[in-house]
Amino acid sequence: MLTTAQLLEPLAARRTDEVVVTTMSTVRPWGRYSNHAFDFASADSAMGHTADLALGIAMAQPGRTVICLNGDGSLLMSLGTLVTIVESGVTNLVLIVVDNGAFELTGGQPVAGAGRVRYGEVARACGFRRAYSCRTPQEYASALDQAFGQAGPTLVEGHVEPGEEGPISRGPAEEAAYLQTSLYDSARALREALGSPPGRGQGGMPDTRQPGR
Amino acid sequence: MFRVYKTPKPPPQPSAAQVLAGLIAQGATDLLGIPDNASAALFDLASSDHRVRCLTVTREGEAFAVAAGLWLGGRMPVVSIQCTGLMESGDAIRGTAVRMGVPVLCLVGYRGYAKMLRAGIDPGSVPADHGELQRHDVDSAAVHLLPTLGAWAIPYVFLDPEREAESIRAAWVRARTEERPVAILLTAPLAAD
Repeated sequence: MLTTAQLLEPLAARRTDEVVVTTMSTVRPWGRYSNHAFDFASADSAMGHTADLALGIAMAQPGRTVICLNGDGSLLMSLGTLVTIVESGVTNLVLIVVDNGAFELTGGQPVAGAGRVRYGEVARACGFRRAYSCRTPQEYASALDQAFGQAGPTLVEGHVEPGEEGPISRGPAEEAAYLQTSLYDSARALREALGSPPGRGQGGMPDTRQPGR
Repeated sequence: MFRVYKTPKPPPQPSAAQVLAGLIAQGATDLLGIPDNASAALFDLASSDHRVRCLTVTREGEAFAVAAGLWLGGRMPVVSIQCTGLMESGDAIRGTAVRMGVPVLCLVGYRGYAKMLRAGIDPGSVPADHGELQRHDVDSAAVHLLPTLGAWAIPYVFLDPEREAESIRAAWVRARTEERPVAILLTAPLAAD
C-alpha cells in the first residue's frame, strides 16, 4: 500500500509542463509539492466531475499531457467518463485514481465497492490503452515511466492508505497557493496560462468584469 | 446517417444545417452531449463536419464538465441535451459552468412542449398541484423545465424559427458578456434538410 506522499512525490519530481488537475484528498497535499501555473484544483466545484473536466482540457490541448488526480469515490460518481474518455480519442490524458476505499474528506466512510473494484481492469474493459494497478513504490514508478513516455489514455490505480484530509475551502486560510483564489479566478488563471484570454473579450465582448470575485 | 424521428405536426423549426452554421459563425468549436429527437439531425450533421468536433457523452452532466475543460483549454464548446438530461446535470452545471463562469451555450430539447400546450399548461408556471406532474396527458419533463432553469438562474431563449442565427448570436453574446451558461430551447426537432 502506498502513502499519499509516495504517490505525489514521484509525480511532482517528473512533472515538467503537464497540466495537473487535483480533487478531494490530493488537493492540499499536491499544493505542498507544487506551485505551478498549470496546477488546477477541482475544489469547490462539482461532485465527481474532475475526470471529465480534465478530459476537456486534454481535448483542447492535444500537444500537452493532462494528469488528473482523481479519487475512487469521485470516479465512481461518473464511472461512464471512462467510456467518454475513450470515445473522445484523446491520447494525452493520464488518470491517476487514488484508491483509498474511503470518502476521506468526510471522515473516511467506505466508498461503494471498497477494496473490491479493480479500476485498472475497468479502464481496460472500457478501452483505455494503458492501465496499471500499483501497490508498491516500485510498481508505481514503473507505471509513471509508461504513463509519461507512451500514448494513452492511461489509468494508474494507486492503492493508497487513507489519510486524514478534512473538508477543503478556498481562500487565504488555505496554505496551497492554488486554493487561495476562487474557482472562478483559478479558471481564468489556468486559461490564461494555457494561452487564451482569461475571460471576457471573447468574440469582441468588452471585459468589464470586476476582479477578485 | 441516424434515424430522425418526426412528430406528427412539429412546430416550424430551422434546419440543423442552419443551426450548425449559426453556431460556427459564433465560434463554436465542439458539440457535446447526447442526441434527442430535437437535436438528432444536428448531431448527425456535426459528426461529419470538420469544422466542429462532436463528442457523445454517457450522461449529460459530463457534458458540462467536459465543456468547462474545453473552455479552460481555449475552445468554445456547445452542449446539446434533452431537458431530462439538463435536470440530471444539476450539480455539474452548478459546480463547473456556473461556478467557473464558463460561457457555454446549451441547446435543450424541450420534450413534451407541444403536449403541455395542448393540456393548457403555461410553460412558465410552477405546478401548483402535484397532480399536474402525474397527469397522463402531460410530460412532467416539460412542466419542470422552465421552473428548473429559473431556480438555477440559467437564462434561456426559444429558438426563433425564422431568425435562428440571431437567436444563437444573442444567446452567445449573453453567455460571454455575463460569463454563464445560456440555454436555447428547441421545442421541436430540427429539420434534417
